[in-house]
Amino acid sequence: MMNSLVKKIMFGAGLLLVLIAVPHFLKFHHQDLLIFLTINVLVVASYRIVTLTGEWSLIHAVMMGVGGYTATLLFKNYELGMWFTLPLAGGVSALIAAILCFPLFRMTQFYFLIGSFAAGEAIRLTWIQYVNPFGGTGGLSGVEPPIIGGIDFLDAIPYYYLTLVVVSICLFILYRIENSRIGLTLHAVHWKAALAESVGVDTWRYRALAFIVGSFFVGVAGGLKVHYLGTITPNQFGVGYMVFILIWVIVGGYNKFYGPVIGVIVLTMFDESIRGFDEIRPAIYGAMLIVSILFLPLGLESIPAKLKAWFGVGSAPDEPPLTDK
Amino acid sequence: MPVLEIKNVTKQFGGLTALNDISFNIEEGEIRGLIGPNGAGKSTMFKNIAGFYAPTKGSIVYQGKQIEGKKPHTISELGIVRTFQETTLFQELTVFENALVGCHINARTDLFSAIFGLDRKKQKAAEEKVMEVLDFMGLSDRKNQLASELPLGSQRALAISVALVSEPKLMLMDEPFAGMNPEETNHMMDLTRKVRESGITIVLVEHDMKAVMGLCHYLTVLNFGQLLAEGTPEEIRNNDKVIEAYLGGAN
Amino acid sequence: MELILQFIINGLIQGGFFALFAVGLVLIFGVMSVVNFAHGELVMIGAYTIWLLHAQNGFGFIPAIFVAVMLVTIIGLLMERFLFRPTRDDPLAGLICSIGVLFILQVVATLVGGDGPSKQVPPPFHGTLVLFDFLRIPYQRIFSLVVSVGALSLLWYFLTRTKLGWALRAVALDREAAALQGININRISMIAIGVGGALAGLAGALMAPLTNINPHMGHNVIITAFIVTIVGGVGSLSGAVLAAVLYALFHTFVTVYFGGTVATICGLILMVVVLIVKPTGIMGVRVSE
Repeated sequence: MMNSLVKKIMFGAGLLLVLIAVPHFLKFHHQDLLIFLTINVLVVASYRIVTLTGEWSLIHAVMMGVGGYTATLLFKNYELGMWFTLPLAGGVSALIAAILCFPLFRMTQFYFLIGSFAAGEAIRLTWIQYVNPFGGTGGLSGVEPPIIGGIDFLDAIPYYYLTLVVVSICLFILYRIENSRIGLTLHAVHWKAALAESVGVDTWRYRALAFIVGSFFVGVAGGLKVHYLGTITPNQFGVGYMVFILIWVIVGGYNKFYGPVIGVIVLTMFDESIRGFDEIRPAIYGAMLIVSILFLPLGLESIPAKLKAWFGVGSAPDEPPLTDK
Repeated sequence: MPVLEIKNVTKQFGGLTALNDISFNIEEGEIRGLIGPNGAGKSTMFKNIAGFYAPTKGSIVYQGKQIEGKKPHTISELGIVRTFQETTLFQELTVFENALVGCHINARTDLFSAIFGLDRKKQKAAEEKVMEVLDFMGLSDRKNQLASELPLGSQRALAISVALVSEPKLMLMDEPFAGMNPEETNHMMDLTRKVRESGITIVLVEHDMKAVMGLCHYLTVLNFGQLLAEGTPEEIRNNDKVIEAYLGGAN
Repeated sequence: MELILQFIINGLIQGGFFALFAVGLVLIFGVMSVVNFAHGELVMIGAYTIWLLHAQNGFGFIPAIFVAVMLVTIIGLLMERFLFRPTRDDPLAGLICSIGVLFILQVVATLVGGDGPSKQVPPPFHGTLVLFDFLRIPYQRIFSLVVSVGALSLLWYFLTRTKLGWALRAVALDREAAALQGININRISMIAIGVGGALAGLAGALMAPLTNINPHMGHNVIITAFIVTIVGGVGSLSGAVLAAVLYALFHTFVTVYFGGTVATICGLILMVVVLIVKPTGIMGVRVSE
């Protein structure tokens, strides 16, 4: 017991050390990438809580955009600092999600998927259509990171630490939710909705809760991104980005909390290694998605367990379908 | 006063009438058998009571309150809990975790408390309740096993435990004896009596006549969506209409 | 009055295209219960084939259409055999595979046509039909409308008058029951995606001279197809055709007055409303409980 706790602390301390040290060994371009990677970790982790109830939404990328646009507009129009824009970015995303719950969660499965896609596209096209205040296709720019105590967070390394802190707090909260009784109920809603209902679970409320919480955190991620990047456009949050989220989650493994995180880290490193093949990069991802679904349905996360089973220690993990019919 | 009153309930699917003007009462503390040949409408009746269907006509009154058409989770909050025909369990969770899902109503937690661990007291109470029920159902030494590893009899017992944890007043059991060997059936009968002695009214849909005749105080017989007969097991055994319906169904 | 008539004519022609690709999507979803996200890219490949063969290499327009239809049909068949069949028990897995295909086809198009501006195909049919002095319909559009209507009629005949078509509809209604009756699901799935692919290829080929061709044109196509499918009622072919025509009229009209983006936003909102109010669509049949 004590031993495992010590191990955990050692592991945590080691991880922290690596996370703190890593930007100092990177070139500037890679420091940039590290920040986006950290933000994307939050994006996939927040997507995971939505998928816990078995509903695969296609609006997550747009919800990130909602957070991004909120932060941008608050910064530009009211000169609010990042400490206000980030929670408000999450809050507005959560609010929009809460409103969308009423139409969207009358549907399940395929209908929910298409419905969420439609709602997302409608929001995104609104940004394109209404140049005032959203800036149209060209988007908005001029968002700046904060200056706190003389540290200019425009520099990559300080901003990375800031992102790291925010993302870590968010991940901790998401992890706590997933491992609480609420997480257990979300699981119940996914796999045996009728049984859950018969012991008093309002499945609608829990689907909605997961969706709202997921949207809040992806909104925060959107705020983090725009404060570093300085610009925001509707196309950053299009189907293309949504598909990347799906790829990260699925290739990493959607069955465990850390699966999507592994997915986004491994694929970002992979992405760097195929730089120079820009033209065919989408096809490589497409092929990877297909191969992953067909041959590694539980994702990278399941490889250790599979290897163990192959060598005859431990049993192979079950492979539940992505959705029930 | 009866605990549950079914008043002129009709359920139609498109042109098909699955239940036609059915009325009967369930008395507090009894074990009621709801029997009939396949397709008689027993499961449809259950689903109407538990809120999975809304009756086309008629009303369902529970403790003096109309409940027809309410959502399943609202009805279970009122104290009516159903168990399922198959072994509907979370196969990938442990026995303990399965039962914990049943705690939903009595130990509800909110997002904030869940994140900051403010619900420890509730959590502890829920865990104690789960252990109490698992003890009661004879499952406590299997609490860390996965549900999928349990033999059939224990899976059914666990399904009832999940329902019991939610502290129901009325339990709808859908074919709890299906596929059991005589030994398991006997054990299950003992468990069912124990549940009833703890103060829970039970309605049982079942094909296993030995279990039905041995357990139930009173039987309600459905056939082709009609109420065919009501009476004690002895009366039903000797009822010509019932015999005919069952023999007719066998042909 | 004149303007309205012109709207209606243009809307009908547009509706023909919409119907061609939406019907394919419905067919594939009905039979295989998989949402083919790459359906827009199948249309795009059809259009690229015309551009490559007809506009770039001087093939005749009609033979190029045949090649386009064949090519897209083959892509569809490969998708069924290697992606949808292995994932048949898990509809979402099939959908995600189709997203993979979407990316691959876009890259193929980019490699074939290069980056740069959208491609145009000069209309092979010249001239304009003038009716009552005020209705002007280019022959190219008339040709498209006639071919679309012809293809849809052929499909209707196949589905309602042939044994194979009957089997296909049986699978769409209830796959398990159909399988129990001895219908070969694999064969029917191949036919469904074959027909769906052929229609998508045809739609792309017919649209080629009337639109901008680029690797991302599939995006608008799939959005339109979703709207039409949902509004028409998932699984209802006649609903899809009707919805295609109605939506095309609506879209043409709103585009003229408020612009294309507003038209699409309205369409998407309409679709969400239909999903809420009547998830079975205008012609859909309620799935039994």
